[in-house]
Amino acid sequence: MTIAGVFLGIAIGIVLLAWVVTLIRRGRLYVGYGVIFVFGTLVAMTILIVPSLLGAVTRASVALLPVPSLIIVALVIFTFLMVYVFTQITILSNRVMRLTQELAIRNAKQEGDVAPRAVEHP
Amino acid sequence: MHMPPDRRCRSLVAIPAYNEAATIRGVVDRVRADLPDCDVLVVNDGSDDETAAALPGSGAIVAGHLCNLGYGRAIQTAVLYAAREGYDRLITIDADGQHDPAQVRALLGEFDTGRWDILIGSRYLVGRRYDGVPLGRRLGMHLFSTLVELMAGRRIYDTTSGLKVIGRQTFAPLTRWHFIDFHAEAIVYLMRLGYRIGEFPITVAERRHGQSMYSALSHIKYPLKTMLMVVLGVVQADLTRKRPS
Repeated sequence: MTIAGVFLGIAIGIVLLAWVVTLIRRGRLYVGYGVIFVFGTLVAMTILIVPSLLGAVTRASVALLPVPSLIIVALVIFTFLMVYVFTQITILSNRVMRLTQELAIRNAKQEGDVAPRAVEHP
Repeated sequence: MHMPPDRRCRSLVAIPAYNEAATIRGVVDRVRADLPDCDVLVVNDGSDDETAAALPGSGAIVAGHLCNLGYGRAIQTAVLYAAREGYDRLITIDADGQHDPAQVRALLGEFDTGRWDILIGSRYLVGRRYDGVPLGRRLGMHLFSTLVELMAGRRIYDTTSGLKVIGRQTFAPLTRWHFIDFHAEAIVYLMRLGYRIGEFPITVAERRHGQSMYSALSHIKYPLKTMLMVVLGVVQADLTRKRPS
């Protein structure tokens, strides 16, 4: 991979990280989803930065050259789309949770007040 | 929170419960016997078993989630309820019977000195070691405890304790942001906001029924999520301090 390609990959990684972290902080992306993107991006950036790692991954994938840039473009678009989809799922999920909590609080009722039973302490 | 003698402090004991049919009634009865001046709220977090059926006649207030939202959201429901009903402090206790409600008196005594905004019942404060804890959990406890010290400047030995006394001054920040389980991430967030969080030694009984809420996979996922949320909690707290709502 060319130096320019590595820099571009790192720049895309930083943009993705910043976006994901902001979404998590604002509660628009569930941290359980976000953590996958954060650590996945960090791993990908580490591989890009360390030439020996990039070489090892290339050899491990039985490729002669690091993946063609067109595939990287497709992967980047797909990753950003995935973040968007998960954001929409999180927004819906948050609404369901708020609704569930609100219903629980509004419907909270005291059960019949019977004197507490004799308690045996362990 | 220091109360003037003529004003009675309203306390709510919250018990988040998910599939705890075997123990929930006993826990509620013990809380009512040991803390008769406290109201009891059970947050039934979408249990599939007979947890709800065990509560009629218990005298507890029951708030039921229609589906399982997780421990953090169950605690948040309790905090929201306590805030809206005007309680001065919220005491959280596990539904599995591991906490002895009789120990809450001592915890409340320390809390009432006014030195703390949140007081955590700590299993590890006395020895300051995690003896007898399984290896995976012990590593997690060390990790979270160290993380809290790094991010907030003070060590909290038992970041995952379910027994806490929460003062009403922290109700608003606890409902304003989102947490995973109200553990290390919430502690760091509140400490960075300037709230005083302390520990008080307690002992816990062995769990006799049910199982822990942490599955095998969560031993990998949970630390990663918590670490990320701890770091974000620092950022969020700093932003909140700069732009208070």
